Amino acid sequence: MNKEVSIKINGEVYRNSVPIRLLLVDFIRDVAGLTGTHVGCTFEGVCGACTVQLDGEAVKSCLMLAVQADGRSITTIEGLAVDGKLHPLQKAFNDHHALQCGFCSAGILMNMAEFVRTNRKLTEDEIRGALIGNLCRCTGYAHIVDAIKEVAGTPAQSA
Amino acid sequence: MYPAVIDNYDAPTSVQEALQAFANGGNSSFFVAGGQSLMQAIKARIISPKTLIDLQHVSELKGIQFANGAVRIGAMTRYRDIAADEGLDGAYQALRDAASHVGDRQVRNRGTIGGSLCWNYIAACMPPTCIGIGASIDLVSKKGKRTLLAEEFLRGPLETSRHDDEIVVAVTLPTPAKSSGSAYKKWGLVTDALPVAGVCAFIELDNDGRCQLARLAVGGLATGPRRAEAGEKALIGVSAIDASGISEAAGTAAASINTQSDMWADAEYRKTLIETLTREVVATAFVRAGRGKHS
Repeated sequence: MNKEVSIKINGEVYRNSVPIRLLLVDFIRDVAGLTGTHVGCTFEGVCGACTVQLDGEAVKSCLMLAVQADGRSITTIEGLAVDGKLHPLQKAFNDHHALQCGFCSAGILMNMAEFVRTNRKLTEDEIRGALIGNLCRCTGYAHIVDAIKEVAGTPAQSA
Repeated sequence: MYPAVIDNYDAPTSVQEALQAFANGGNSSFFVAGGQSLMQAIKARIISPKTLIDLQHVSELKGIQFANGAVRIGAMTRYRDIAADEGLDGAYQALRDAASHVGDRQVRNRGTIGGSLCWNYIAACMPPTCIGIGASIDLVSKKGKRTLLAEEFLRGPLETSRHDDEIVVAVTLPTPAKSSGSAYKKWGLVTDALPVAGVCAFIELDNDGRCQLARLAVGGLATGPRRAEAGEKALIGVSAIDASGISEAAGTAAASINTQSDMWADAEYRKTLIETLTREVVATAFVRAGRGKHS
């Protein structure tokens, strides 16, 4: 029923005994207390609000059990800024007013932080294609695309 | 939606360990691959595993290997890795067409070809693609190994020939003829949506650039993915510049398929989609096959 896990989140190791059925998103929010990762579609896996990076790759944390992340490294929105310095995407989202209610923003940033790391000039079509797994009900995406466009293709990102 | 209680979780690192974990787990044991479909079913409690056997650390199930043009794709190879592999271009490029538009980036970072085939969802892209390119499916259990053609393995929606205690280890593809090409395309209600219909074409050309072998496979059907043999026959002898021959074959293919009406498309519209998609993927497959001729 329970299993011991050791999951690194934003550089800090969390060792806990958790129910096997505990979803990774609930481990992040309720066990680690990091509530920047959101639950939008109530665990159906379609909205992308719970997107985090698993060993650097964007995944939906509601489609994994916490036990599946044992021994692996997670980055959440709380780990995106380094030493108080905003990730270029975070700054661009500010500059372009790329959020309204902000509920989807954490998931979009964690997905796009991996996407822009490829460090090549990305077209608007590619950016929009990469956003398919993240629903935003406020902005109409235009400002989000503008913000990502500004960062995509600029020198290598760290996150 | 939240999973029911799960008693055991195993994360084996080899196929043998995974088979043993299943034997130990008994009834209600399930293998999980990328989990992008199965976890939804577990959360909805359509499936309530007592033992979950996670294949994510079984490295022998991962990766794409090439030998003289023949290809072996480990069952746990993810969409993102298939979508990125230029070694598949030409004969087996349909796999890249399909893998690069499954779900979304996050799904492609986790979802696997083996998982998709074992789930055989009605609106999945890997099943018709694997039938179209003539793939074989390698399975293993404690009783031994067997290999099935994709079209034998895949049955009605959510049904396959896999026994509960079997693991799909790989998808294999034979050395293709030099001038062969494939393509896959789907149509859904919005960009990259689950397909209402999807078609895969595989074409092999003779020395004069005429089609000497064709396979067409259609997905999005209530009967499960299936070949359109009448369309395949109609393509024999057709060349890339024979637009009316290709159109005719596409029409024949669509006419030969039994389509269903559902909330996304009525039966007649689905036939129109299949005809249009067939025309497009056949044309693309011809171009890709033609490239192989000069290489």
